[in-house]
Amino acid sequence: MIFNDFNPQEDKILRIIDNDGNVLNKELLPDLDNETLIKAYKAMLYTRTADQMAVSYQRQGRMYTFPPNLGQEAIHAAAGMIIREEDWLVPAFRELGVMLAKGVTMKEIFLYYSGSEHGSNFKQANHVLPICVPIGSQFLHATGIGYSIKYQKKDEVVFPFIGDGGTSEGDFSEALNFAGVWKVPVIYTIQNNQYAISVPVKSQTNSINLAVKAVAFGIPGIKVDGNDFFAMYVAYKEAFDYARAGNGAVLIEALTYRKGAHTTSDDPTKYRTKEEEQEWDKTDPLPRMKKYLENNGIRIEEEEKLIEEYKLEIDNQFSEAENFPPYELDDVFGYMYTDMPEILEKQKADYKLFQRWKENRK
Amino acid sequence: MRYIFNFPDIGEGLEEGTILEWYVSKGQLIKAGQPLVNMETDKVVTDIPSPRAGIIVEMFGEVGEIVHVGKPLVEIETEAEAAVETTTETPKTMLIEEGAAVMGTMELAGDNAALPASNEGARKDTESEEAVVRKALATPLARAMAREMKVDINKVTGTGPSGRVTKEDIQSYSPASPPTEIVEQAEPALPTASGDLTTYEPLSQIRKAIAKNMLNSKQSTAHMTLFEEVEISELMRIREKLKKTFADKNVKLTYLPFVVKATVQALKQHRPLNSQIDLEHDRMVYKNRYNIAIAVDTPEGLVVPVIKDADKLSILQIAQKIAELSDKARYRKLTMDDMKDGTFTITNYGSIGGIFATPVINYPQAGILGIGRLLKTPIVKDDQIVIGNVLPLSLSLDHRIVDGGDASRFINRLREYLSDPAIMLIE
Repeated sequence: MIFNDFNPQEDKILRIIDNDGNVLNKELLPDLDNETLIKAYKAMLYTRTADQMAVSYQRQGRMYTFPPNLGQEAIHAAAGMIIREEDWLVPAFRELGVMLAKGVTMKEIFLYYSGSEHGSNFKQANHVLPICVPIGSQFLHATGIGYSIKYQKKDEVVFPFIGDGGTSEGDFSEALNFAGVWKVPVIYTIQNNQYAISVPVKSQTNSINLAVKAVAFGIPGIKVDGNDFFAMYVAYKEAFDYARAGNGAVLIEALTYRKGAHTTSDDPTKYRTKEEEQEWDKTDPLPRMKKYLENNGIRIEEEEKLIEEYKLEIDNQFSEAENFPPYELDDVFGYMYTDMPEILEKQKADYKLFQRWKENRK
Repeated sequence: MRYIFNFPDIGEGLEEGTILEWYVSKGQLIKAGQPLVNMETDKVVTDIPSPRAGIIVEMFGEVGEIVHVGKPLVEIETEAEAAVETTTETPKTMLIEEGAAVMGTMELAGDNAALPASNEGARKDTESEEAVVRKALATPLARAMAREMKVDINKVTGTGPSGRVTKEDIQSYSPASPPTEIVEQAEPALPTASGDLTTYEPLSQIRKAIAKNMLNSKQSTAHMTLFEEVEISELMRIREKLKKTFADKNVKLTYLPFVVKATVQALKQHRPLNSQIDLEHDRMVYKNRYNIAIAVDTPEGLVVPVIKDADKLSILQIAQKIAELSDKARYRKLTMDDMKDGTFTITNYGSIGGIFATPVINYPQAGILGIGRLLKTPIVKDDQIVIGNVLPLSLSLDHRIVDGGDASRFINRLREYLSDPAIMLIE
C-alpha cells in the first residue's frame, strides 16, 4: 500500500508533479487517458468560475454569506472522479467541486446560500448530505453511515470532509476512534488549507502534521499535496480500494491553501501576509495541472471561450435560484422532526401571530 | 429602465460602509459583475460589483463618505442593454426599480430577533404579543397624526370613547422603547405642507457622522475643560513682520500656524496629551507622531482634516498645509487619507466668534484645544492698566488620561510659547 511508503510519522508527503508540472514520481503517476485529464481540468475550471461568481453575487447583495473554495479545486476534482453514484458525500462547507461531481447543481448551491431549504434538496444527486456548518459534527454522521453500510453489507463508501480547524473538535476524535474500532468503509479527508478562519495550523496542533493523528486510532493516514491533482487522485484511488475491500477507514490530509477569505465576511489581509500568499500562489492547482498538460502536448481548446460559456450557464442557474419562490414557513420547521417538539410548535405559532399582526398593520 | 442599486449588507449585519474609491464615472457603460466601487466596512475592504449592465446615471456619495446599508449607491439606466436584460424581467409598474439589496437584515429586529432554542429560554410573551396585535380604535385624523409623529398608534392607551386613541393621547405618548422606526423600515420623512409646525428633513451623511462621533466621544470619555488667556502682543508683532514675506509666497499668515507649532512643541513635553487609552488591554498608547487635526467649518458641516507630522514642518509649511486642507474641505475633495491618524485637535472657533467654549474631544484622542476670539482688552502689566491683546484658550481633555495638574502644566507651557515665541526657537 502506498500509504506505507509515505509514513506521516516521518512527515512524508505524497507528491507526483512539481509546481511547474514536471513529473517527480514517474512510477506513481496514474494511468489516465487524455480525455480523462481534460475532464478533470475542466471540472477544476468550472468549480473556480462558479466559486468566483458566487462571491460576486454575494458582493452584489443578491446572496448571503459564502465560503470561497478558491485554491482547493484539485482535491475536489480528484475526489469527484473516484466517488460513485452510490457512495456518500458528507461535506463540511468548502467542497463545491465534489458536490458538483456528485450532481448537485449551482442553482441548488445558490438557493442554499440564499437561505432556502430547497438548496439542500439535491434533485439529481444521490447520497449527498446537506452542507454542514457546525464544525466537525459531519464526521460523526459519516462514521454512522459507514457503520450502517457495513451492517447492511452494501457496496458503498463514505467521503466526509473537514478542515484543519475541525481536527481540534471532539467530534473528530470520536468519529475516528469508532471508525477504527468498527472498521467502517469511510475515507476521511482533512482539507488543511492552513487557516481555521484566522487561526494558523501551528496554533491548532502540536502534532507534526494532521495525518499522523490516524496512528492513534489505528487506521492508515497519509499526507498528500492537495494542490497536486495526480497525488490526490492516487491517494483517493488507493483509499477507495482499501475501504471498499472491507479493510476499514482511512485518513487523508490534503495540504492546500485557501486563497480566498474564510467567508465573504472575513478579511484575510488582517492575519496573513502578501508574501505568504504569493508563495502559495506558486502551488495553485490549476496552472500547475495546465503546465503538466502542456508539457505532455495535451491542449485545452480555447479556455477563455470555455470560461465565458461556463459564466453564461452559471448566471442562468443563478437567475433560476433568484426567481425561485420564497420559502414557506413550513420549510423552516418541517424537515427536522417527525413529531415536532413543543418549543418548535410554539415558535411556529408565534411567528404566524407575528405575520398576522404584520398583515393587520397595513 | 432605471435601476437603483442599494448598498448591500455584505457582511452579516453591517450597518454602513465608507467609499474608498470609485471605479466608474457618470455616463459610463458597465457590464454586470463589473466592480463599481471599493468600500471599507467593519468586516472587510472589498469591491462591490454591479448586479446590472447599463449606463451609470447617478453615483451617490463621494470618496470618504459613509453609505448606509440599504441606501442607494448608483443608479443604472439598463435600457442600453435592453436586449440582454429585459428577457427575464417581469413587467414592473414602477419605472424605478429598487435593488433588493438588503439581505441579511431581519424584518423585525426587535422582540423576535432571538427566539429561544430550548424551554429554558421560553418567555412570557403571550401578553406582549397580544398587546402588539391589538388594533387601536382611532379616527383617521389621529392615525395620520400618529404616522407623522412616528408613534405606533396600536401601543397608545386610548382615553376617548370606548378607548379611542385621541390626539392628546398621541401627543402625551412616549414610547418605552425605540418605536416604529424599527418596524417600519425607515419611511422617508418628507417635508410637510406649509403651515405645519415642523418640517422633517433627512440627515445628510456628514451630519450623521458628526452626530455619531460627538455622541461617542461624550459617552466614551471623561471630559474636562480648562480655560486660560494669553497676551500675544509680541506674536502679533512677529506676524505683522512676516505677513508680507508670506504674501509674496501666496500664503495668508494667520495666528493658527503659530498655535499649531506651539501646541506640537508643548505636546512633545506632555506625552499623555498625545496619546489614547486602551482599557481593553490595560495600557496607554503613546503616539510618536504629531498629527494635528484642524476643525474646518463648511456649509455641509464640520470636517476635521489632519496636518500629518506637524512637528517636522515650518510655520510656512503649516500655513500652506492649512490652506490646502481648508480648500479641499470647502470643495468636498478631502480623502480618507486626509482625515485619518490625527493625534490631537485644534478648533479655531474664535475666527467666527466666541470667547470660551467646551470643545468636544475628537475621540479617541486625549485632547482638543479651542482658540477663542482675540480680544483687545485692559490688562495689568507692571502694576499698570494697559491695552492688551488677549487670546482666550479652552482646553478639553480626557480626564481618564490627563490629571488636572498635567493639564495646567501643559497650558502654562503653551502660554509661554505664545506670549514669547522666541522661546519656541531656543528649545
